[in-house]
Amino acid sequence: LGDRASQQGTVAELALRALEGMELDALLDEAAAVVARELGVDRVAILERTGDGAGLLARSGVGLPDGVLGGVLPPDPSQLQRDLGSASRISARIGVERREFGVIEAHGEASGFSDEDQAFIDSVGAVLGAAAQRARHDELVTDSEARFRELADTTPALMWMTDAEGDVTFVNEGWRRFTGGGMGSAFADSAHPDDREELLRRWSEATYRRDEFRCEYRLRHAASRDYRWVLEIGTPRFVDGTFVGYVGTATDIHERRAMEEALRESEASFRELADTAPVMMWTTDVDGMVTFVNEGWLRFTGTTFEEELGPSWELGVHPEDAALTTSTWDAARAERRPWEREYRLRHHSGEYRWIVDRGRPRFVGGRYVGYVGTAIDIHERKTMERRLLEVYAREHEIAETLQRSLLPERLPPVEGLELAARYLPGARGAAIGGDWYDVLERPDGRVALVVGDVAGHGLRAAASMGQLRNAFRAYGLVEHSPADVVARINRLVMSGGEQVMATVLYLVLDRETGEVSYSAAGHPPPLVIAPDGPHFLEGGRSVPIGAADPAVFREATAVLPPGSSLLLYTDGLVERRDVSLGARLDELAEAAGAAGGGLDELCERVIATVIGGGELGDDVALLAVRPLPASGTQVSLTLPAEPGSLAPLRRRLARFLHATGASEMEQYEVTLTICEAAGNAIEHAYGPGDATYEVEIAYDAGELVATVRDAGSWREKRGEHRGRGLSIIEELMDEVAVERDEDGTLVRMRRRLGDRRAA
Amino acid sequence: VSSPAEIVLDRRGGSVVARLTGEVDMSNASYVRDQLVASMPNDALMLVLDISGCRYLDSAAIEVLFDLSRRLGRRRQELRLVMPPESPLKRVMELTEVHTAAPIYEDLDTALSQ
Repeated sequence: LGDRASQQGTVAELALRALEGMELDALLDEAAAVVARELGVDRVAILERTGDGAGLLARSGVGLPDGVLGGVLPPDPSQLQRDLGSASRISARIGVERREFGVIEAHGEASGFSDEDQAFIDSVGAVLGAAAQRARHDELVTDSEARFRELADTTPALMWMTDAEGDVTFVNEGWRRFTGGGMGSAFADSAHPDDREELLRRWSEATYRRDEFRCEYRLRHAASRDYRWVLEIGTPRFVDGTFVGYVGTATDIHERRAMEEALRESEASFRELADTAPVMMWTTDVDGMVTFVNEGWLRFTGTTFEEELGPSWELGVHPEDAALTTSTWDAARAERRPWEREYRLRHHSGEYRWIVDRGRPRFVGGRYVGYVGTAIDIHERKTMERRLLEVYAREHEIAETLQRSLLPERLPPVEGLELAARYLPGARGAAIGGDWYDVLERPDGRVALVVGDVAGHGLRAAASMGQLRNAFRAYGLVEHSPADVVARINRLVMSGGEQVMATVLYLVLDRETGEVSYSAAGHPPPLVIAPDGPHFLEGGRSVPIGAADPAVFREATAVLPPGSSLLLYTDGLVERRDVSLGARLDELAEAAGAAGGGLDELCERVIATVIGGGELGDDVALLAVRPLPASGTQVSLTLPAEPGSLAPLRRRLARFLHATGASEMEQYEVTLTICEAAGNAIEHAYGPGDATYEVEIAYDAGELVATVRDAGSWREKRGEHRGRGLSIIEELMDEVAVERDEDGTLVRMRRRLGDRRAA
Repeated sequence: VSSPAEIVLDRRGGSVVARLTGEVDMSNASYVRDQLVASMPNDALMLVLDISGCRYLDSAAIEVLFDLSRRLGRRRQELRLVMPPESPLKRVMELTEVHTAAPIYEDLDTALSQ
């Protein structure tokens, strides 16, 4: 179907070129080229029959051997095939009706052409035939016009006079020279036999009424022994009111007549050409009034030729398309620009069908005479396009919804970390989905950061993104090393059967020390924005996830200088076809380095500078983080007196203790004792209201001091286990003091860290 | 709001293996206890509770271990614990004498085979 549409379009284009008056040789060259392209052959020849019909002149072609073009071949059409040694041949006559110009041939290596190919090359032949015919007529028009001007300047007028009876009494020298004869009443004898009767009839009518006499007829021209058209005008003469005869002049109008005839023929062959082309065609005059539509047009609209003349075609345009169709048409005509428009035109079935209508200004003999246009029925293509667009739009919407639901716009706050994230969906088509960012608090007190980009777009990519994001959350919790996390997910993807590929930057950050370890699986390098300037973390590079099996994944480590921010992003931010990645990374570093203030400002600045106002071809995910180290020596917290406060308290303690370098067991034991004290505070808090407790921890020179204060009073052992909490505190701390007063209870604990590591 | 903890159950012949992961404190201790008690059918002889994956147990959680041992004992069912010797929880378990409530094994296979 695509081939046929393309071939039909090609023929229409060719016909349009011919109608615009493209020079014949150029048209033939173009025809040879498009036939080669549409039929997928290397060799095409356009052969013109010589005047005597005894040979074929190779007038144009593609891929012909040296010496063939311009030469004359015997009229046997298989001769060229033998010469070219081609396996198959397809040909068509170039001509309209009985007027033959020649033949067009295509030679292929493969066997066979289809019926559609034959129909196509036949159409080309018909178009070229009509064009060749028209070229001959146009030549005639041009020639006769020039000759007419020349003659008008040089030919002396032919003059004659008659008496009252109508007998010729005088002819001038010009007349004598033209006709080669002298005077005589039978000057009608010099007229062409076919015109004689008409001439005499007019003459007798005029003389009877003594009116002006006027006739165009063919007069014998002595020098060429041929007849030439003249316009004869006789004027009655009166002397003192008495009719005395006629005085007349004859003007040689032969060239003008010839030109008019040629023009008529040219127009006729133009219309013939238009009817030959397998498309709808029309012409207009300079005012945009339709002067002609071809049969193709009438077949489509089901109207008559007369109905289509003038401005009435606009009535057939679909009401929704009418305004733009006519306004663009008027605007194009005002500047004599080519015009093209897709609109719905009423079909004879009553249905509106999409057509593409193209018009171009038309010139005859250098004079602008209006427009010529072609229209092609593109209804099937257009409806399919619209349906596809709807499907794309729907998928885009679903993909965006899915993407948004899988990728929260705001990440949950992470203690000790300033965070900002952005997701920008791609604007083009269904280019959405597949990019993500994530932040995860690991049990060891470090934070894992992920930015990834699943190859492809749409629903599948968005769904894969959701799976990968969760896989990273899962493995990120249990695996310590970034390369191990990435390797495990590669294994997961490779064993999944589905073809998923993704680039990922996975990085684990120690908020207190600024130490990072990271792995970049086919992903662009993260940017560190340090106080002394930006730089990229270039290490830890390996292949994307899902690209290779087995695959090697690497990791690298670095330390962020205090006060640094870290920017992770997907390649939609930096990838652009016309600029090298290196240059884009430089731009990114410069933009990020120049941004002051918070991370939201950083993201906005980077988006504004690096992406600018341009449309996003790909979606972009951005994640900016800045570690906010605990003061290192002291923490002071006020927490609600309820069991749910214990988990966040442990999270906070983990960070603090991790920073002190305490062993895992020490961290557990200190956390446990503080939480036991906190648990007692919660147990004894008064009332259901906004009771709180306070925790303070300080660490200095290997010694940790913690206090937990509440507003209640501790009861002594209630049941056996109640005392276990306090006994744990006493066992695990070097020193414990419990102070009670009317305001509440305060537990003060002290422990040296590092001493019992071997325990 | 309670602390995050998971229990994974696995029937191995006459034994039920329960792997406890996450954090157990006063916010979720009684829930964990109820789930573990409910996980023991009458025909099971032994509950092997693997706490290797536990990041945090507080005194309430330790009390659950004692309570669990008592309840199972009344049903003639045994409680065994699995905890690797390098666990950060080791010293606290010793101090609270958890082994008096349930024997502690270094790994799951040992706990099941003895």
